Formats: sequence, C-alpha cells, structure tokens
Amino acid sequence: MKSRKADFIIWTALAVILGLIVSFSFLPLLNVNPVEALQTMLVETFSDTYTMGNILVKTAPLILTGLAFAFTYKANLYNIGAQGQFYVGCICAVAVSLGLAGALPGPLVILLAMLAAMLGGGLMGLLIGFLKARFNASEFLVSMMSTYVITYVMQLLLRTVLQESKHEYLKTDYIDSSVWLPKFLSGTSASIGIFIAVGAAILVWLILYKTALGYRIRVTGQNMDAARMAGINPFVQCMIAFAISGAIAGLAGFIEINGMQHMLLTDFDTDIGSYGIGIAILANANPIGIIFAALLFGVLTVGGTALGHSTDAPASTIDLMQGFVMLFVLMSFFFRKKIELNRMKKQTVGAAEGKEAA
Amino acid sequence: MSVPVVELKHITKRFARVLANDDVSITIHQGEVVALLGENGAGKSTVMKCLYGLYRMTSGAIYVDGQEQKIEKPRDAMNLGISMIQQHFSLVPAHTVTENIILGTCRGPIDYKKKEQEIAELAREHHLDVPADAYVKDLPVGTQQKVEILKALYLKARILIMDEPTAVLTPQESEILMQFIRGYVEKGNSVVLITHKMKEVMEAADRIVVMRDGRVVGTVDKEEVQETDLAHMMIGRDLEDLKKSAWEESADRKPCLEVRDLSIRPKNQAPLLENIEFSIREGEILGVAGVSGNGQQELCEAIYGAADVTSGQILLDGEDISHLSVRGRIAKGMGYLASDRHRYGMVSDMSLSENMLLKASYLKTWVNHGIIKRKKLNQDTQKAIQDYSVKAPDCSVSAGSLSGGNQQKLVVAREVGMGEKMLIFDQPTRGLDLGAINYVHKTILEEKERGKCILLVSTELSEIFALSDRVMVLYQGRNMGIYQADELTTEKIGLLMAGYDPEKEKGGNGDEE
Repeated sequence: MKSRKADFIIWTALAVILGLIVSFSFLPLLNVNPVEALQTMLVETFSDTYTMGNILVKTAPLILTGLAFAFTYKANLYNIGAQGQFYVGCICAVAVSLGLAGALPGPLVILLAMLAAMLGGGLMGLLIGFLKARFNASEFLVSMMSTYVITYVMQLLLRTVLQESKHEYLKTDYIDSSVWLPKFLSGTSASIGIFIAVGAAILVWLILYKTALGYRIRVTGQNMDAARMAGINPFVQCMIAFAISGAIAGLAGFIEINGMQHMLLTDFDTDIGSYGIGIAILANANPIGIIFAALLFGVLTVGGTALGHSTDAPASTIDLMQGFVMLFVLMSFFFRKKIELNRMKKQTVGAAEGKEAA
Repeated sequence: MSVPVVELKHITKRFARVLANDDVSITIHQGEVVALLGENGAGKSTVMKCLYGLYRMTSGAIYVDGQEQKIEKPRDAMNLGISMIQQHFSLVPAHTVTENIILGTCRGPIDYKKKEQEIAELAREHHLDVPADAYVKDLPVGTQQKVEILKALYLKARILIMDEPTAVLTPQESEILMQFIRGYVEKGNSVVLITHKMKEVMEAADRIVVMRDGRVVGTVDKEEVQETDLAHMMIGRDLEDLKKSAWEESADRKPCLEVRDLSIRPKNQAPLLENIEFSIREGEILGVAGVSGNGQQELCEAIYGAADVTSGQILLDGEDISHLSVRGRIAKGMGYLASDRHRYGMVSDMSLSENMLLKASYLKTWVNHGIIKRKKLNQDTQKAIQDYSVKAPDCSVSAGSLSGGNQQKLVVAREVGMGEKMLIFDQPTRGLDLGAINYVHKTILEEKERGKCILLVSTELSEIFALSDRVMVLYQGRNMGIYQADELTTEKIGLLMAGYDPEKEKGGNGDEE
C-alpha cells in the first residue's frame, strides 16, 4: 500500500516535469529560448509576493470546481456543468452583496452571500440530479447545456436589474468594500478565500470517507445494484451528490465575487469549470490531491501569464503547458497500473518458485 | 494403444495474480468420455480454454493426432476438430437456429432453405430434437444447449468439450444429454466433460481426471473408483458431516414469515410469480427448488422489498410489511443473500469493513449521528473474519482481492448478522468449493437452531434435501406444491421442476376408479 502511494507521487511528479519539458521544447519554433523562458517564468513567479499571492487567488476557485467534479464522480456521475453552477453562485453572491451591503453589518452580509451562492449552485445541481433521477436524462448533457442557459440568464440580468448604475457596460457596480473577503497577505490580492477552499476540500474528504452519507454515495457510484439491495435509493444519492457538487461550485462563485473581482461582468473565468474537470482527473478525484493539482494549475497560469508579457511567447503557451501536463499525468496512470501488475506477477512467480525450492 | 487424439503436455497458465494451471498433462483417446472433475477454481475450465485457443498457455505443448499444434485462437481449434460449449451459451437470441449454426462459416449469398434442410438432417442423424427454423430466444435452455451441440457437429467436431453442461438442465434433460454423449462417442468421437458433480462423472465418464489447485491430482478409470475416493481427491481432506435436526411442525412454533397471494405480473409479459402462498415457522427451513429462472429471484426480491409486486401481502411476525422498502425491511431484521454476490451483495473495490457496513448504513450499529464508527466497525469485521474463518490478512483489504469462497463467507457473515428474524439464501453455495459449501451449510443449520426462519433457494437438489424441512417447487412462477422433504424423491421433484404434477395425474385416475 505504501509503495503504491510513493509510486503515485513519483510518477505524477515525473509526468509534470516531462509535460513541462515537452511544452517548452516547442518554444524554439517561436524563436524563444526555452531555457531563458523558464528562467523568466520562475523568477517572475516566485520573486515577489504579489505574484505569489496571485497564485493563491487563482488556486482557490480551481480547488472548488475540481471538488465539484470529483464529488459527483465518486457517485459515478459526471457534473461537467460546474461552470454554470459557478455563475449561479456569482449571481447570488453579487445580488446579496449589492442589496444588503450597508443595511446589515459587513461580516453578516458576507456570510449571507456565501450561503446564497451555495444555495443557488446547490439548487442548480439538484435540478440536474433530479432530471437524471426522475427521467434518466443524461446528466452529462443536461449539466453541460445548463451552463449555456445560465450564461445567457446572466447576460440578461446584467442588461437589466443587475447592470451598473451608469448603464454603460455589461457589468454590475462594485460591491461595497465592507463586504469584501478580508485579505490575509498585505501587498497582494490574496483573500481568505484560499482557506475557505482548502477547508472545503478537507470537509469533502471527511464527508466522503467518514460519514454514512459519503459512504452511501460511494457505494452507489461503485455498485448501484448492491446499493439498491442495501436499501440505499440510488436516485436520492444522485440528487444529494449533485446538490452538494453544485453548492461547492457556487461557493467558488462567491470567492471570486467577494474575494477577487468585487463585481460581476460577462464572460469572466470562462474556463474555470473545464479546468476543474482536468484538476479532478489529475488528482484522481482525491479531495486532498485536488488542492495540490489546483495549486499546480495556479502556478502554471500565473507563470504562463508572466511568460506571455516578458518574452515573445504567446499567452496561449499556458494552455499548451497545461495540456501537456494533463496528457502526461494521464499516461502515467496507465504506466503505473502496468508496472504494478508486472510487480504482482513477479511476486507470484517468486512465491511459487520459493515454494518449489523449499 | 493407438495415438491419442489430443495430448496436453505440461501446460502452465499464469494470470497476473494467480497460477491457474501448474504443469497439467491430460490425454484424450478416441471414443472415450474424459471427465475433468474438480472444485470451482481448480483450473478445469482454464486448461480447456487453452486447448480451445481462448487463453494462451504460459508454457507447455498441445499434440493433436501426435502432431504438435499451435492453437492461438478458437478457429485454429475448430480446424482441428475441437469444439467447446461454454457454460454461458454463445448464441444470438434474435436469430434462428440455422442462422446461429452457420454463423461464421459461409460467405456470399446464403441459400437458407438448403442450409435449414442440412441442419434438420444433421439433427435427425444425432437424435437431437431441434427445430431448425425456430428463433433461439423462443427455445428452452435445454434445447439451446442442443443448438450449441449442433453448431459443433456442423463444424465436424470430433472432440467436444462441455463446460458444466448440466448446470442449467432438469434431471430429465440431463438424462437426454447423457444419452447423446454415449451415442456420440460410439461413433468414434471424444468428449471432455468439465464438471464438479460426482453423479454425472460416475454415470457418463470412462476416465476421470481429478484436478485441485491447478494441478492434476489423479487420473482413474471409472470402474476402479468409489465416489468417496473421488471426493477425497477433489478436496484433499474429509468433510464434516452435517446433522439436520428432526423438525416437527407443532403449534407452539409461531409462523415467522407469511406470504399471501403474491403475484408479479409485468405488463405485456408472462407473469413472473403467480399467487404464491406459504408460511415459514420459527426455526424452519423452507427449500425452494426449481430450474434457475423460474421465479426464484423474483420471489426473494419480493419478500425483501426490492421487486415491484403486483399484488399480495407479506407478513413478518404477524406484522404486515408489504408497504416497507428494502431499508425498512432490513431494519425489521431481514437478511438476504442474493445469488449474484458480485452484482447485488458486495462492492469489490471497497474494504472488507466497508462491505460489512453495506446494509447497515442507515442503522445505529456502526453509525453515530451520521459519522461512521470506524473502530467498532473494524473490530466487528475482524471478529467476523475470525468467526467465519475468512482467509484475509485484515479488514482493510479490498473485498475483490479475496477468493470467491472467502467473499461468500464474508457476505454470509454480514447477512446472518443483519437478519435477526429471517434469512433468505438464494443459491448460497453457487460457485463455491466443497469446503466452503460445507461451511455455509453448517452456518445455515446453526441459524435455524437459533430459531430464525429461513428461505433457501437452490438449483442443487442435494442442497435442498440436505437442509430443508419442507420443499416448495417453483415452475414458471407457479407454486407446484409444498412437500415434506422426506416425502419427495429425485424423480418426483424432477417432474415437478419440469411442470408436471404426478400427484394430480394420479389423483385424477383415482377419481375415475
């Protein structure tokens, strides 16, 4: 068991490094010196606290959308609509923050905004889960399409009730600074959102592995027939899993609005849902692993941005890097399995020969 | 003696985790029936699958007619005249018998009329009663098996391997199969019969190869051997004798489970269960006999609350539980060991502890305010592992890593713990080796002694007779009658299982007299 865990860490680290090497090897084609580029990237990313704070800012919502995908994944369901549930969370958080700031004390409004975001995302998830459970609609398609619906609903709201007072751009007013999530590092934009995200990851791990609720979700995911025979209603589990998943994605929306953007605008963070899927897969849907996978994506995003404006490398190099890293990590799963199987084979042969010799 | 038709020399087959065959050598002569006898997991099917080209052997050699042959795929085997009938048939239900038989043998336009005649002719020649133009899905299992045999004959097979051929047959159908085998080998062909049933071996085989743990432990001629010797060779030790206590129906035994007028009639389909009525008293085992697929699973699931029941009532200790869900019935003290443990009874990738928790996730035993009591769960699982002598390093290994017999012991331990009042055992020993079967039987009898009422479904008549106090026979979802175990003979139960009621026919005659 222990050797398996060590294997996992070594292989994943190797895959990440290999992914970076391969993506950097494309840079000469663009007349960029890869060694210099790497240097610039590392120096710019890790030399000042502001950029390092930025990494945490990027990481926080990624942890949450990763968790959102992982949670349904444990029930053998696919919620690829975390993007939509994230937007619902944003809308709820911004609406509560705009509406109640000043009327109620700041911390209370923050708390209400958080609950509203989770409730909104959760209801969105529940709807998808309900459609799956009641009508056996493909949760894959429904969750994906729901993102489009929410995107347009958000646009509608930004054109009407939520539009800024100037009525100029498709965005809301800034929310009052009394309802901003407090920053924890001076000189950076890093809010306590990262702690909320890490806390959520730990909580999700506890729910999945320490409670009967999480146990039932996992049983349903692994063997639905056995679950049914054990008095566990798979439909109920499906709805619970989707509701919790949606709530986590909604929480990501709250962190982005109250912790970072301080307003809602169209077309923002459009990749956050799909990155979440990648992160969850990278971490093999393990909630604690997701923290680290999200951190890796955060570093790549910030480093890639630095690369973009300090060298001639285009900004899309980030996507290239993330793509290759993902690819290599997924390949490493396959190789790890193969090596493990071979090791077992050798063990059985060894044991058999040992017996014969004796 | 002449050159053997098939010779397997020093075959070894290794899968990732297990050594399935270890230096197995088997010789098959012309015109004989060789029985491969052994418990489940002894490697009988594996070695034959190597011969048939389904598996590649790790080492060893195969000689056919004295020539070494490389058999890499079933087609190679077929070209050499070797055919294998799998335990699970490989037929296309939506096609006709003819279409199934000629599948893969012809190219271009097909003259169905001619092929149909050919096959009808072939069937007549071998006294196999198969309609060449019928759809396979409309045929009973016994006839489907004949289609498989015809398929082999059509390919001019001279060596026929049959994997547990009687598992799905009634005693009468088995008899017909044995007759066919006799006739077939008399024509100079050979048959390999893979089986774990001693009776079949003594009836049909000329020579018996006994396998255990992937090795051949002995080859004997039928004339020279006793059944008890074979059993000993198969398991490598003696079995514990089971003692069934005499059971008398007396008034002070309360009825524990009552089933009244239970029916399951799906729309546009034949009824799965029709007006089933019975009751089981405390400390009684009611056996349910029948060919598999005659409503047994539906009956168990209906009692357990997992099936949609059209009508009927189920009472446990006098209380109507018809409206309760599975969860509610588990809470009332029902245990259900489903026949397909992989599908319904366990989660392979979860630990033994987590499998122990499976049916108790809503109960207070191992859960406190929604939090799993790990320590207690692990302790109790550890205890169950010891009590039921499950071979496992500890309770944290995955259930899938255990052997079938040990998985079953664990699941039995769980259900016995869950079912405080009543236990439903559906095929509790299917696929187990004799040692594990013995153990499960002992457990069932112990639970009976504790006063639980037990419903035992089995397709193995020996199991039904060994354990049951009374026996109910199911045929196409109908109750063919409930009998005291000692008033039934194998012949009579065989007829009942096939849907004939000898009593009624006799009774009818009696009236006329």
